[in-house]
Amino acid sequence: MYTLYFKIALRYLLKNKLYSFINIAGLAIGVASFILLMVYIRYEHSYDRFDGSENVYRAYMDYLEGDTYVAGDAQTYNQVGPTLKKEFQEVEDYVRFYRLGKTTLKNQHHILEISDGCVADPTYFDIFSQNLTYGDTRTALTEPNTIVLTASLAQTLFGDQNPIGKTLQFFQGSSTLVKVTGVLPDLDQNSHFKIGYLISYSTLPNLEAVGDNIKRPNWNNNTFFTYLKIDEKADATLLQKKIVDRGMTEVQDERMNIEPIEDIHLYSNKPYEAEANGSITRIKFLTAIAFIILILSWLNYINLSTTKSLERAKEIGIRKVAGAQKQQLIVQSLLESFMLNIAAIIIAIIIATLILPIYNEFTGKTLRFEIDIIQKLLPILGIILLGMMLAGLYPAIVLSRYTPSKALKGKVRTSAQGLHIRKALIITQFLATIILLIGTIVVTKQINFINDQPIGSDLNNVLAIQGEILTNKSDSLLRADFSVLSQELKQNSIVLSTGLSNTYPGDGYDNLSSFMGMTYPDGTINEQKVWYTYEANTDYFEVMGIEFLAGKTFKETPKGYSKDIIVNAEFVKEVGITNVEEALHKKVKFWGRDWNIVGIIKDYHHFGVKNPVEPMVLRYTPTRDVLLVKLNPSVTSVSGYNTALNELQKTWSSVFPSSTFNYTFLDKKFQKQYEEDNKFRDAFKIFTALAIFIAALGLFGLTSYTCIQRKKEIGIRKVNGATIFKILKLLNIDFIKWVGVAFFIAVPISWYAMNAWLQNFAIKTSLNWWIFGLAGIIALGITLLTVSWQSFAAASANPVDALRDE
Amino acid sequence: MLLQLNNISKWVHSGGQKVYLLKDISFWVNEGDFISIMGPSGSGKSTLLHILGMIDDFNEGEYTFLDESVHNLKEKYRANLYKQYIGFVFQSYHLIDELTVKENLEMPLLYKKYSGSERKAMVADMLDRFNIVGKKDLFPTQLSGGQQQLVGIARALIASPKLILADEPTGNLNSKQGEEIMDIFTQLNKEGVTIIQVTHSEKNMAYGSRVINLLDGSIQ
Repeated sequence: MYTLYFKIALRYLLKNKLYSFINIAGLAIGVASFILLMVYIRYEHSYDRFDGSENVYRAYMDYLEGDTYVAGDAQTYNQVGPTLKKEFQEVEDYVRFYRLGKTTLKNQHHILEISDGCVADPTYFDIFSQNLTYGDTRTALTEPNTIVLTASLAQTLFGDQNPIGKTLQFFQGSSTLVKVTGVLPDLDQNSHFKIGYLISYSTLPNLEAVGDNIKRPNWNNNTFFTYLKIDEKADATLLQKKIVDRGMTEVQDERMNIEPIEDIHLYSNKPYEAEANGSITRIKFLTAIAFIILILSWLNYINLSTTKSLERAKEIGIRKVAGAQKQQLIVQSLLESFMLNIAAIIIAIIIATLILPIYNEFTGKTLRFEIDIIQKLLPILGIILLGMMLAGLYPAIVLSRYTPSKALKGKVRTSAQGLHIRKALIITQFLATIILLIGTIVVTKQINFINDQPIGSDLNNVLAIQGEILTNKSDSLLRADFSVLSQELKQNSIVLSTGLSNTYPGDGYDNLSSFMGMTYPDGTINEQKVWYTYEANTDYFEVMGIEFLAGKTFKETPKGYSKDIIVNAEFVKEVGITNVEEALHKKVKFWGRDWNIVGIIKDYHHFGVKNPVEPMVLRYTPTRDVLLVKLNPSVTSVSGYNTALNELQKTWSSVFPSSTFNYTFLDKKFQKQYEEDNKFRDAFKIFTALAIFIAALGLFGLTSYTCIQRKKEIGIRKVNGATIFKILKLLNIDFIKWVGVAFFIAVPISWYAMNAWLQNFAIKTSLNWWIFGLAGIIALGITLLTVSWQSFAAASANPVDALRDE
Repeated sequence: MLLQLNNISKWVHSGGQKVYLLKDISFWVNEGDFISIMGPSGSGKSTLLHILGMIDDFNEGEYTFLDESVHNLKEKYRANLYKQYIGFVFQSYHLIDELTVKENLEMPLLYKKYSGSERKAMVADMLDRFNIVGKKDLFPTQLSGGQQQLVGIARALIASPKLILADEPTGNLNSKQGEEIMDIFTQLNKEGVTIIQVTHSEKNMAYGSRVINLLDGSIQ
């Protein structure tokens, strides 16, 4: 019996190729989109999950701003860990990381520049449940001058041999010898804290490039990431409250706080994060899209099946006359749904697998379909299948209810209730489509708005050249070398200008210093505000195209030291001066000395336009590790960037023969801050397009249904003189009404959702009325096109054919 | 007696008025009868046939089939009853296009409790009896009208019903094909199968032993 059911289903699907294609394609696209989105969402949720991760917390600093504490810094003082362990028995242990930034490792002729190395406590392995491929976790980080490498790093530096006990040269400003005591297996990428290598904490005093206030146990320098292991029986919420309530005598206007490590990637966005984290809002939006697409494909499926069941009325009639009972007909219909859905799911999995590499490139993640992922997705697939079966139940029941005598005559009419259900389904489809359309338009508008924002600095054709100078040189000698280098570069026609600094717009917090405590020009003392500062030389502003509102750039001083500072307009506003001219030559006090304001620059975006402009203090330096070079666009446009880069490297190497060389294009780096947003926008676009496609398929099905149902009516109208246009109008008017209803429901929902989303941005585009209008027009346009495609055939058909079988 | 109708009426409401499709129909059928129902279009022939076949209901009256009161039966029992005793033959054959000849024949058996080997034997028997063994793997659309109606009759007969209800069985056929079909009915009737046919044709009527004339839903 069942084999016959399968046979008939298969033959039916093969016979009605267009219908089968539309139905399976709709489902497969929906399910494939759902799977891909879910794999990504799962990945984002899987950050920092390891054995015992539920008991690991990160300590961070809250700053007092006005009357309330705000999350001030993801990094802490080096005494936070030891203090919390000593004072709270729930804290079992702590591990501190000090990020070394740009460093170079050298084993004979193998030289490697790497920027994600850290100094770490030996407790790392226990707290992060990390094993070693080579070496002993108990002793690996206990001795001074020892290093633990990741497997890929060890491979690059030592090849396939076991590197334990071997020594490496470690460069950061100067050279230090370190012994390899462990090799970590390559770590999964889904941690917010990426590690290239670890150097023992006891090595810290021996590293010349690290400042003294970092080496000493102190409460002055918060540049340490601190993670705590909490007793699994302890109440973490209570502990957090106790830590917050403890207050701080060590530092004014700050307090310690903790957060679960598992929440960091999606929920934390503090200054000085280890990396740009994900965003839970984005994930929520993507989850919503995933479900909308899935539901759309179900609705689509229900509509199409119900539509098609009408054509099968005769078969149902014959079966009933032959003795089939309701349940048997339902079972048969469900079996067909099952086959169709299994086919769709299989195709969806194939599509998803094929697309995965492209998808990975797009998301920048390494998502995989591994056994455990598939296992975790099984319940979801189960839900999908169950949903589809439920979706199949409706047409099955409708089908089984046909009265045989009427069914045989082909005189089935859907009940008013049935029509209501289908109307509701189609309106829901329109609703989802319009909401997605509005979402896409708003997201695109906002992201493009951000991308197009003037940042107050011209980064085009500016390169940041960095390289590790692998010889020990005194500051004054380096200064001389940089001066020579600048002179030589300026003589080259490729170069317009050069400058020096230790960071630049778009570089983020990485190389930016911050401090608290400043005396304003009027004598006000502010202890709470966080100020950001970095160093630059005289030519910096010219290279970066940053304009002066008052005053001018630094005077060169041979000593390499100056009390002059240049501040931005926001700074002037912050210290209570309304006119920038007035701020000139005023004095402020921080770090225990007076500073003289010699210039006020126009506000520029240091962190990207998503964030508000912060007050900025620039101090003078004649030598710093970032060499900024503005290339001559008229030359590079002819000879190309590669020639320019080769020449730059030649000049650099002639001044620093023993060194490495690397470069960054500043405009690209600045744009990189928006990479996630751009991808979000693109994802939104792609999945909205797919959703619309699915909805259009459903509409197509529904129209064909209407045309069948109204065939006779159309025939009669035409016989009585109705024109094709009149018939088209008749067939389209219902759909236009439904789009209208959906539109009016969609507008408030999407206005609310998109308004909430826009709150994440400091600079936001406006929610103009035309966005909604455009979405409505697009929905209406797609609807009319889809509907007319079918209804035109019905409207232009010869009425005699329609009336013949009466 | 196979079945008996007492004062059967069926009506619909149209424009606020009761329109009778059948009015006060009473007759009986004995086993072995060959009855022709005649009458012009719209006289209620097909409706009557559908009521006899229990695939349509009526508003008033009594219908007794093999001593069972059909009008009092629940749908499920009614279905069991007609499944067991009644076979249908239609003017437009009503074969399932997606099934082969063999599968179309097997289809009704699936809804009655026969084992796979029994079904095979019964199908083979029918194919044999109607000389369509060679066509068993063809689909209905690959057959001529006469051949399709042969399959339709074979399907109606496969579960050995007591009663065959035929709704203009030759209506879509040419005269030669029609004669062949009517010959088969005669043969079946001789073998003891009761046949009730709806027909327009005087010629076909002549094959039957009794005629019921319908006009505007009433027996004349």
